[in-house]
Amino acid sequence: MRHVAATDPVALLADVRRGDVRASARLISRIEAGDESVTPLLQSLYRQGGRTPIIGITGPPGAGKSTLVDQLLTIYRSRSLTIAVLAIDPASPFTGGAILGDRVRMARHNTDAGVFIRSMSSRGVLGGLARAASDALIVLDAMGKDLILVETVGVGQSEIDIMRHAASTVILQTPAGGDVVQAVKAGILEIGDVFVVNKSDTSGADRTVAALRESVEFRHDPHDASAWHPPVLKTQATEASGVQELVEVLELHAVYLRAHPEALRRRLLTQARVCLTELVSDGLRRRYLGAESMSAPLAALLEEIVDRRTDPYDAARQLLGALG
Amino acid sequence: MTSKIRCLLGMLGTDVHSKGIRTLAQLLRDHGVEVIYLGEHNTADGMVSALLAEDADVLGISFSTATYVHYTRDLLEKMQSAGVDDVPVMLGGLIHRDDEAELREIGVKGIFGPGSTTDQIVLFLEQITGKSLSAARSRD
Repeated sequence: MRHVAATDPVALLADVRRGDVRASARLISRIEAGDESVTPLLQSLYRQGGRTPIIGITGPPGAGKSTLVDQLLTIYRSRSLTIAVLAIDPASPFTGGAILGDRVRMARHNTDAGVFIRSMSSRGVLGGLARAASDALIVLDAMGKDLILVETVGVGQSEIDIMRHAASTVILQTPAGGDVVQAVKAGILEIGDVFVVNKSDTSGADRTVAALRESVEFRHDPHDASAWHPPVLKTQATEASGVQELVEVLELHAVYLRAHPEALRRRLLTQARVCLTELVSDGLRRRYLGAESMSAPLAALLEEIVDRRTDPYDAARQLLGALG
Repeated sequence: MTSKIRCLLGMLGTDVHSKGIRTLAQLLRDHGVEVIYLGEHNTADGMVSALLAEDADVLGISFSTATYVHYTRDLLEKMQSAGVDDVPVMLGGLIHRDDEAELREIGVKGIFGPGSTTDQIVLFLEQITGKSLSAARSRD
């Protein structure tokens, strides 16, 4: 039987909601291509969505994120939970091309109908990565899986914005020197709910755990009983060691959020703000600085800036003033 | 609205000579293709479900073993029953000239054996997908 992808929006939404792989995959492709006609579909899915918890996993390249996701999938599948994965890999800044290789580590789940894995490149998505990823997460949410895992390379504002969509954020580090200072610099200590030092069999693991613990505890009042105190764990993802403990900690965090609705609410409000900021800035970009063709007034304005007859500050004020 | 060429690359069965496909993955990336790399030891079923979820435009498989006609036939049958036989398949690696007619007959769209050039593969990708790679490059 040949699968016919629904072109009728109502049928397409129904397909996505019953978790149809091809319909969902195609919708994500349209999001990546910057197809504006998906907006009404996403609106509809958003309004009825928000039921699937999202776990974010971020860390530097080579820290073992995909391997950890693979192990988490195995544990969650052994409990009969269905899972959607969004795996984001960096793209070449020169050609826009990419090698998305996260699936290699998760290959054993390829034939499992309870697992949906989608790779996304960090470039070449119109409107920016954060926008495409948050739209894709709306689709994954609508598919009705029990859990969503999203994996990103932990550098840059877009990646941090993506992590804002997660109910629980796992920050992965390795025992390599300087990592903790890097984590402090990257500002990821603030967004982590759980910290994991992977490759715990390599030397320096205990030192990294101790240093991370110190930095994390420094940020939290030990006497504040209503706060979540991010634990620091050790894993060796290739051997599945420590992964069970991570799953248990993530469950504790979910329990914490249920017990502290105000903390959950704060999180959701931050998500909404990030999402709205993306949409507004994307709208402004498209309207005034459209990539397709530059408007004559904009071209003239740029000339004026270069000639120093005006300055970027006044020019920006002028553009925003036109909004009324 | 612009879209990239998404190309799934992988190997089937026990074939482990992945140098060729890893090289191709890098060359295609440098031409602006989004390569979803599956690596070695895939099953036909695994490849088909990856193809579904990734919504790739093209599927490329590299072979260095003699059993490629058998593997390809099995894969194409599974693609058909999953309803993804509209995705063009290209083969590379040690494909013998004598097998090309049979492979094309069962539905293989592109064959790039020894001596094939990157330009030939890139041109094939552009023609079969109807998408331009130079447009993808100039956007960045």
